[in-house]
Amino acid sequence: MDTTSTPLPYSDTKPIGHADFYFATQATFRFIFERFGIEGLRNYWRDLGARYYRPVSLRWQEQGMAGIAQYWQAFFAAEPGAEVLVHDTADEVRLEVRTCPAIHHLREHGREIIPCFCQHCFFVSEAIGAPAGITVRIEGGNGRCVQRFLRADKTLAPQNLEDIATAS
Amino acid sequence: MIGCYDFCGHYEWTFEWLHQLGGHDLVKAYWDEAIHQDSQIHASSLIREKGIEGMKEYWGPTLADEGAVYERTVTDKVFRIDMHECPSKGFLLRNGLHQFSDYCDHCMGWIGPLMKEAGFVIDHEHNHRGQCWWEMRAISDPTPASAPGEFSGKHDVRHMPEWKSDSTDHYERATDSDDKTVLP
Repeated sequence: MDTTSTPLPYSDTKPIGHADFYFATQATFRFIFERFGIEGLRNYWRDLGARYYRPVSLRWQEQGMAGIAQYWQAFFAAEPGAEVLVHDTADEVRLEVRTCPAIHHLREHGREIIPCFCQHCFFVSEAIGAPAGITVRIEGGNGRCVQRFLRADKTLAPQNLEDIATAS
Repeated sequence: MIGCYDFCGHYEWTFEWLHQLGGHDLVKAYWDEAIHQDSQIHASSLIREKGIEGMKEYWGPTLADEGAVYERTVTDKVFRIDMHECPSKGFLLRNGLHQFSDYCDHCMGWIGPLMKEAGFVIDHEHNHRGQCWWEMRAISDPTPASAPGEFSGKHDVRHMPEWKSDSTDHYERATDSDDKTVLP
């Protein structure tokens, strides 16, 4: 997989994804949670980040903060209904999620949202970032949040999961 | 965040993750419980309530939104789809994504239980290359699947040069993803 030509590792023939797939994503979370509990679900998110998103990790490793910013810009441009600002500095990429496309679509269609939904952003991104020496801190959720991508540093306080809002 | 743009990629990856964790039965339970009974509840209720009309209402907008190239042939007795370019399998093929043994089984995995519940049976065949055909009839209708070209004419995917593959998976009056015959 060429990780340098395009910010996204996989490409489709249409420019924007089909929002109803968010139904299946959250149904997957609920299925795993009901069968294997929260730790089983977190393992799924970690494995997804480390294995499926391996091409993203490689790109972040090669291109650092600039690659992270380009990835998220391209990512949210392809997600229907996303309103996200990507702030890029030498030391940090900060996502200001004003409208989370998944939460928005699930709500719009009256779907009951699994309370731990927003935690997936932390566990998946943390697993993507780890090989590149990148860590993530998230505050907020349930439709709006701030996600900070930083260089992993032992002095950095760990993510407090209570800072990630319960979804509803 | 896990996005919907590359959904088919992480969806297919998830099949294999579940398979390694709990084998074939867990994957089948996922297609039925998570996809049929949770994600696709809008499809279930439309088809349970309206039958073939509900199939038209569900698959019309959905396949358009997904970017499918297909033909639909419908009477009051049968709902047929000739899928010329499956958007989902096409995404996987174009991006070289292949973790699970047969991605195409997932459609019968969730549509099968849905049709069973709604009182329909399915004749279906897929070639693992992004082409397939489906015929849904009421369980009380003993009519067998149509011969190539008989029902959908020139649109029948079985006439396309791309249809030929090493093997196809064939289903007759089925509602279970395991009830298939592999044809050379």
